[in-house]
Amino acid sequence: MHEFAIARALIDVAEDAARRAAARRIVGLNARIGVLRQVDALLLSEAFAAARGGTACCDAELRVEPVQTELECPACRAAFNSRAWDWRCPRCGAEGENPRGGEELELVSIEVDDDDDSGDSQGPGEERPRRRREPCPV
Amino acid sequence: MTTIPVIRKVLEKNDRAAAENRARFDAAGVMCINILGGAGCGKTLLLEALLPHLRHALRIGVLEGDLATTRDAERIAALDVPVAQLLTDGGCHLTAPHVQRALPSIPLSQLDLLLVENVGNPICPANFDLGEHLRLAVLSVAEGEDKPAKYPLLFRGAHAIVLSKLDLLPFVQFNVQQVRREVQRINPAAPVFETAATTRHGIEPLGTWVLERVRANRPLRR
Repeated sequence: MHEFAIARALIDVAEDAARRAAARRIVGLNARIGVLRQVDALLLSEAFAAARGGTACCDAELRVEPVQTELECPACRAAFNSRAWDWRCPRCGAEGENPRGGEELELVSIEVDDDDDSGDSQGPGEERPRRRREPCPV
Repeated sequence: MTTIPVIRKVLEKNDRAAAENRARFDAAGVMCINILGGAGCGKTLLLEALLPHLRHALRIGVLEGDLATTRDAERIAALDVPVAQLLTDGGCHLTAPHVQRALPSIPLSQLDLLLVENVGNPICPANFDLGEHLRLAVLSVAEGEDKPAKYPLLFRGAHAIVLSKLDLLPFVQFNVQQVRREVQRINPAAPVFETAATTRHGIEPLGTWVLERVRANRPLRR
């Protein structure tokens, strides 16, 4: 169940990125996760929902783009994407070689709500995403 | 609503701690090997077989990762090897900060090799860099021949793969040649060692490989 550790780490990185951008409220996280990481999408979304309470991501949505592994066919030389753990060439059935990609585990971007707290403009140094704003939806 | 580009590694905090650990190992002239594999695949027994073989040539310390109990550390301590037990308290993998916290209890400056036995789990530990220089993936024949395909990250990230409990081959369904082909497909560069720790079968070639890797890493101070 490394999904919980990954959810917590996603929130940490998103909060830090928001802080650097002097943004407060994170409404979306866009992540890329390679298939080789063996991160279960459902478990990750449940872990994220459990971990986000009380953080700047407390009502943020997590979107994950899965990244497949690219392979080369040794027989017909076709380049193709793995289908989950099936590494066979879709054209001729030979086992693919030279896997590339699929190990990604990165936060690509965050979406922040800039309508929030419009009247409250502090200097950038003091800007902090609040760890608690309102009670989070459960 | 504004989109802010981030493009940062999700596990960057762990990776930073891992880089600090690696820098400490390098400064002390210690090579660190992270040993991964499922629960009951024979990691501790492999260490018990390997340590007597290596200790005439290397000064070795061991970190034992577990969810609970200090049983593995006691087994290693019985061999008179410096050892610390890392307890994750239910956590399914070691992280770089776990290792960082344990380092003060190991005499790093007096070692050539630090072996870290990860929590028994073929999935989660493979995602977390501890600051090691090498990874050893252990698969017992009792676990089944489909495991390289089911847990590819474990085998893809390994510098060597140890097949363990070969003495159980008559009793289980495990085609060694097929597993070698599967491993080759996932990780063509890694050597595969066939071992049976109880009979010491294959321990010597594995020990020689470890020794060569430690020596290639830097001249030994002795």
